[in-house]
Amino acid sequence: MRLLIDTRASKPIYVQVMDEVRRLVAVGELKAHDMLPSVRQLAAELRLNHNTIVQAYRELERDGAVYARRGQGTFVAEPSGTGAERERLLGEVVERALTDAHRHGIAPLALIEALGKAANTHGGKND
Amino acid sequence: MTDREPPAPAVRTRGLAKSYGRETALDGVDLAVAEGGVYLLAGTNGAGKSTLLRCLLNVERPDRGAAFALGFDTRLNGAEVRARTGYVAETGEGTYRWMRAGRFLALHSGFYPAWDEEYASHLVRLLEVRLDSRLGALSKGQARRVQIVAALAHRPPLLLLDELTDGLDPLAREEVLALLAEHLADTGATTILSTHLVGEVETLIDHVGVLRSGRLVAQAPAERLLGRLRRYHVDAAESWTAPPALEARVLRRETGLGRSLRLVAAGDEAETAAAIADSGARLLEASRLSLSESVLILLQSERHHDFA
Repeated sequence: MRLLIDTRASKPIYVQVMDEVRRLVAVGELKAHDMLPSVRQLAAELRLNHNTIVQAYRELERDGAVYARRGQGTFVAEPSGTGAERERLLGEVVERALTDAHRHGIAPLALIEALGKAANTHGGKND
Repeated sequence: MTDREPPAPAVRTRGLAKSYGRETALDGVDLAVAEGGVYLLAGTNGAGKSTLLRCLLNVERPDRGAAFALGFDTRLNGAEVRARTGYVAETGEGTYRWMRAGRFLALHSGFYPAWDEEYASHLVRLLEVRLDSRLGALSKGQARRVQIVAALAHRPPLLLLDELTDGLDPLAREEVLALLAEHLADTGATTILSTHLVGEVETLIDHVGVLRSGRLVAQAPAERLLGRLRRYHVDAAESWTAPPALEARVLRRETGLGRSLRLVAAGDEAETAAAIADSGARLLEASRLSLSESVLILLQSERHHDFA
């Protein structure tokens, strides 16, 4: 399981940990009832403050994305089945693209048009 | 996020001052480190970081002010504090140069009832400490490893780590920082990490203090610091000057091409954005800074910054 943390990103690190766990669930790398790495393991692996991870896991638990079993660990919960997570991921990708476009002075409509063209030349390579 | 009172500081100083002849090392430092906090003490060379840590252990006597650690007044109970502290000094042990590393650790273990022999052996293996080498013959990095074993193996409630990774090669740095993250997850020790390499520890720490010429110019939880500092990309006429209320918040000015200007300012983002709009300039974007960048900017700033 590989979590990507970016210290230059505008999000607090505990939110990044939450987002990463959700992303890994959404792409199927983590399945329902899989165990998340322990706080200690993840702290060592990513050199994170343990309280950051505790906070991320706690918030994920509150959201119902994971559940904790005392003395055993934290596990991925059953998906809610609404596809809400994929929707949220899509929203994030869109937001990033729009921000980037804005920074380069590209209007949203021009971006959509260019995306359409690029998708066509991709020829359905990525389905 | 919660309304709970923050825990009482595990380490705090009041008006701590220390001079060496005419050199001022510390000038009225009020440090506060929360219990279980991982506190980054940042500063340039000679800013007073090592002196501050040494005062906390009472191996250095302050000229004025008071220091408390783990509930002890360090001037009265220095030995009590030292017994409960893992300390990695900036410069390695000058004494015992003739002693072999293994003998040194055995001697060291005798001072600490809580010394965990199994954990010590684990650390020795992990850090590849050469137990049969004499301390005086060790490279800087090797001596560092011995110090790290000595500091961690009794799992003390307080860690004072002065330039922890100094002298270590890049691989060993990674290993030591991972080891520290794991150790902190296990023990929850209150930790002060002094370093000028902020990038190396920015995900590990949760509080920041910036020392500049012996003065603590900023001190805050890392998230608050990051929440209060922004880089504002502004479109303004070349003749534009910031109104005084805005100017007072500006820590750094980066002039770009043409009408483009970037200001790094402290304070509430919405208020700053409003002040920019009121002054006739146009705000293009406000972006967060990384912790390394924030610390660097605070180090260059002359003023004291309150992030309360």
